[in-house]
Amino acid sequence: MEQSRDTAFPDHVRTRVWEELPDPDNAWLATGARCHGYALDEMARRLSFDDTIFLLLRGELPDAAQRRLMSRFLVSFCNPGPRHAASRAVMNAAASGTRNAALPAIGIALLGGEHLGSAEVEHAAAFIAARCSAEPIDLAAQLVALEPPLTPGDRRVAPGFGTLHGNIDSFCLSLAAPLCELARPEGPLAWSARFAAALAGTGCGWLQPGLAAATALELGFTPRAAGLLYQLAGLPGLLAHALETAGRGITAMPFVPEERYEYVDADTGGSA
Amino acid sequence: MNDTTFWDQRRSRIRTRKGGWRIGGGISVHGHSLLEDLVGRRSFFEVLYLEVTGKLPDPRLARWIEASFLCLAFPDPRIWCNQIGALAGSVRLTPTVGISAGVMASESTLYGPGSTRPAHDFLVSAQTARLGGATLEAFIASRTRPGGRVRAPGFTRPIAQGDDRVAALAGLAAELGFVNGTYLGLALEIDALLAPHGDAGLNMLGYLAAFLLDHGDMQIADGECLYALAVNAGVHACYAEAASAPAGGFLPLSCADVQYRGAPARPLPDAWPP
Repeated sequence: MEQSRDTAFPDHVRTRVWEELPDPDNAWLATGARCHGYALDEMARRLSFDDTIFLLLRGELPDAAQRRLMSRFLVSFCNPGPRHAASRAVMNAAASGTRNAALPAIGIALLGGEHLGSAEVEHAAAFIAARCSAEPIDLAAQLVALEPPLTPGDRRVAPGFGTLHGNIDSFCLSLAAPLCELARPEGPLAWSARFAAALAGTGCGWLQPGLAAATALELGFTPRAAGLLYQLAGLPGLLAHALETAGRGITAMPFVPEERYEYVDADTGGSA
Repeated sequence: MNDTTFWDQRRSRIRTRKGGWRIGGGISVHGHSLLEDLVGRRSFFEVLYLEVTGKLPDPRLARWIEASFLCLAFPDPRIWCNQIGALAGSVRLTPTVGISAGVMASESTLYGPGSTRPAHDFLVSAQTARLGGATLEAFIASRTRPGGRVRAPGFTRPIAQGDDRVAALAGLAAELGFVNGTYLGLALEIDALLAPHGDAGLNMLGYLAAFLLDHGDMQIADGECLYALAVNAGVHACYAEAASAPAGGFLPLSCADVQYRGAPARPLPDAWPP
């Protein structure tokens, strides 16, 4: 027989992020708002959007070093690029007439995967946070030795570290340079750079999720927040690709023609 | 004076006609016990119809609706919503998120459940015009652009001309004993009128709208709700295959596969920030 657990639920929604100031004449209205204690109108005058995102997610304003690194993070990961599944999804949707309001959600969702998405960022951040007291060269050797036999597709020595299309991701190396310039010598970003370098001899390196994770940890974000920050950072690029494609119709995107669409019969293994 | 009665009455309170769950007391769906009256006795589509409209349908209608969902179950990852499912599987999204993203994309103005209301509205407008004394020819002319292209939702289709699904659903409707009513008759008349206009002809969504106007016993808003996930089987298929293949392996693009047509390389302004 079903029985209630009599779970204790709060009577109110609770937040440490946002305080709405009630109108004395109508408590359903607010006269203003504070974000982690700062008046929103004052924030609008004095803070950048980067500062505001940091404040919202961390609860405090960034110091000068964090401010510079946060800005570089948001620029570095502003667009996963037109070949990423998230961009292709929003372009595909926009070209095929999907309602505009659904495009950001589709893009953000497709930027959430465990392969080159925010889930990989979160896993990578958890990995770095847990292992960054280890000597990078020793850990790299240890993890490479534990790698499973090679299978088709890319290698992952650890979340966020491996190969991209069979090689070290050279684009990620170029993205890492402006971020690592601002790294503290003993912080998670510098450690991750040493770990990535230690993997180079095995043909692996860091991937964008690993770089994003290390930078987010350097900024003081938790692994959970790191993944979300990565999705947030990539949204403007996704929307730009959606906007450039919307209204151009279904012929704006490729459609694999019949002669290159092969149906393999599951029973016979042959092409039908 | 602020009258906030509307919101005050609803504060910390839910009022629903749908039903609900009483712990130990069962689950009620519009007055029916889910576990005692419905599970094992009614089909999923009968219960879905009940959940949306508040009425248990004629089982024949539920069977026809289920068949219409099947007609949208193309396991072809070239179809836009399915491709999003495949991409989602390829980048290792969880099934619910990935399949939901594909389903979300299907609320399109060009195909899928997002086109249901325009197809419905077109038929209702045509019938209203006819009842007002206009001929169908005049109505079609009023929906024809100067270049000769007819704007007839439910009678055009991306990529293909004609729609094999109409005959399949019409055959099932006949087998189940449904006869064409006002709107199915109207849809077939419009189909015949559009034939000389080239590529326009009754498609599945037009047929679906006409069938449900005749036999669905529901409002269009309920119809849109009922069909919200209609493409899901195709998205499921494409997600499942891509998710079980190596990550990143679905239709990969090399850099050369993306053509850049924007401004050429240029330096930032010297005075920055301004």
